Amino acid sequence: MTEAWIVVHDLDGGNALARSARALAERVVAVSVGAGGLADADLTLTVDAAPGALVEAYAQPVAALLAARGATVVAFAGDVRSRLLAGQVAAHLGVGPTNVAGVVSTAPLVVTRLAYGGLAVATDEITAPVAVLVLEPGAVTPSDVAGQGAVEPVDATPTAGLTLVETRPKGGEQVDLTAAKRVVGVGRGFAAEADLDLARAVANRLGAELACSRPISEGVGWMPAERYLGVSGATIKPDVYLAIGISGQIQHLVGVNHAKVIVAINKDKNAPIFQQADFGVVGDLYQVLPALVDAL
Amino acid sequence: MRIVACVKAAPEDSDIAVKPDRTLDLSRAQWKVGSYDLNAVEAARQVADQVGGEVIGLSVGSEGWSGSKLRKDVLSRGLDSLVVVPGDPDADSFQTASALAAAVGELGGCDLVLLGAGSSDRYAQQVGNQLGALLGRPTLNQVDAITVDGDHVRVERLLEDGVQVVDVPLPAVLSLTSGINTPRIAGMKDILAAGKKPVSEVAAAMPGASARVASLLAPEQVDRGRVVVEGDPAETAQQLAQFLTTL
Ligand SMILES: Cc1cc2nc3c(=O)[nH]c(=O)nc-3n(C[C@H](O)[C@H](O)[C@H](O)COP(=O)(O)OP(=O)(O)OC[C@H]3O[C@@H](n4cnc5c(N)ncnc54)[C@H](O)[C@@H]3O)c2cc1C
Repeated sequence: MTEAWIVVHDLDGGNALARSARALAERVVAVSVGAGGLADADLTLTVDAAPGALVEAYAQPVAALLAARGATVVAFAGDVRSRLLAGQVAAHLGVGPTNVAGVVSTAPLVVTRLAYGGLAVATDEITAPVAVLVLEPGAVTPSDVAGQGAVEPVDATPTAGLTLVETRPKGGEQVDLTAAKRVVGVGRGFAAEADLDLARAVANRLGAELACSRPISEGVGWMPAERYLGVSGATIKPDVYLAIGISGQIQHLVGVNHAKVIVAINKDKNAPIFQQADFGVVGDLYQVLPALVDAL
Repeated sequence: MRIVACVKAAPEDSDIAVKPDRTLDLSRAQWKVGSYDLNAVEAARQVADQVGGEVIGLSVGSEGWSGSKLRKDVLSRGLDSLVVVPGDPDADSFQTASALAAAVGELGGCDLVLLGAGSSDRYAQQVGNQLGALLGRPTLNQVDAITVDGDHVRVERLLEDGVQVVDVPLPAVLSLTSGINTPRIAGMKDILAAGKKPVSEVAAAMPGASARVASLLAPEQVDRGRVVVEGDPAETAQQLAQFLTTL
């Protein structure tokens, strides 16, 4: 029976990953760092994470465990902690991880990943003795086959070094832009945070979710990270995407080019976004948006 | 403090042409330092200016560094020197991390290695994570703030659901967010001084790749209407509103 391993650190994400990993093999075995047994895996090896320890401190013992059990395919989720675990576990196993955008075949294991900011898709045949995969959202279709849910506790000693001083939970809403039918995206064409209200007014009229380019989130922090679109952010497939003050760099477009219709407002008529838009308005958003609210 | 800032020269993506068969034509692409690598250079400079020390730029892949323009550019932004490790610039993250680890050893070690959020070509976000494991040092990704405090640094790390404050003993390897700082724009003086900064090469062996690239193709293009209107804002807004209501 083919076997895929997963390494997880939280219950919900872990079960979701177990369902995804079933697309890779018949049997799914999990290593759970501090998250207990997974109902959706067939077997979970549970590691009791020490209170206050960072899950990443278990990379080395987890790698040793995977090697001892002869794992040949090991999948991780795409969150920040899982990514670090993936890279470290892979390094201890002497291989490089692959960020998987899609799975072409499992035997041989052939996967796709984005390259050059999404300008191209690379198809990789994994040749390493152990395939370490980071499954990006949507990379595989999750299975609804139930897992066996067996649990086997294992001992692991964390590597000393990092000390968690505190965790500040992030307030605010959980958004799922992937479900939105209409999305309004804002970019650096907005000069001040308060000006986003102009876009909010349009979004309200259209019944649209508000999203942004990466600099609006990671650069100036005007919007939460889950609202930025692109190669490293969310990928959406709405009926309409309205890009306002966004230049249309490939890294951004990759997240939105599955929209049925793309509309753009930009004051630079040579902005690359117009090459990818169905309907474009060349103009100053500060003039066009109030007029658009009136017209809608 | 001795700080290594990792930088990668990669083909500028806006210069890459897509051929009719969807393969890429890189022949006219300029080499450029990834925009997120500049966050590592800036953060390294800020730490060095604060506590004293030197900043060494370290890069795997010599192809892009052959011209002096790129070298000067990155040296003008806060590096004291640049060390290039010859090797395939399209190496995977484990190959690159292995070469960097060997090079850090050749350089006689350092107190802190900083990397950007990801390179502009592969964007694996894994070189720092793997480098830290290979060097056996405390390692974190998504670091959004760094404060030096004696023999350790206190960092803020951005997660999906919150911010972790973590004490990291030195030496350590940290990968940064793209929002941690705004990389400086070099002035004339910096650019002139950059020409005098040392650039050297260090050889390091690379392991084999973890995957064979079967193909590299641009995705199928979606055909778009590409109607563009220009002129009086009230009028163009009206046209846009009309277009939106027909959907
Ligand atoms: C490895 C890597 C990964 C990345 N991942 C992502 C990603 O996932 N998502 C993402 O979005 N970006 C990503 N980026 C960044 C990306 O390359 C661009 O820098 C970014 O998308 C640009 O954002 P922007 O369009 O808002 O800003 P800009 O490129 O600065 O564009 C602003 C636009 O606003 C227009 N404008 C200015 N004033 C006005 C006005 N008054 N009215 C109308 N228009 C106006 C300008 O003409 C310009 O076209 C990534 C970069 C790298 C290197």
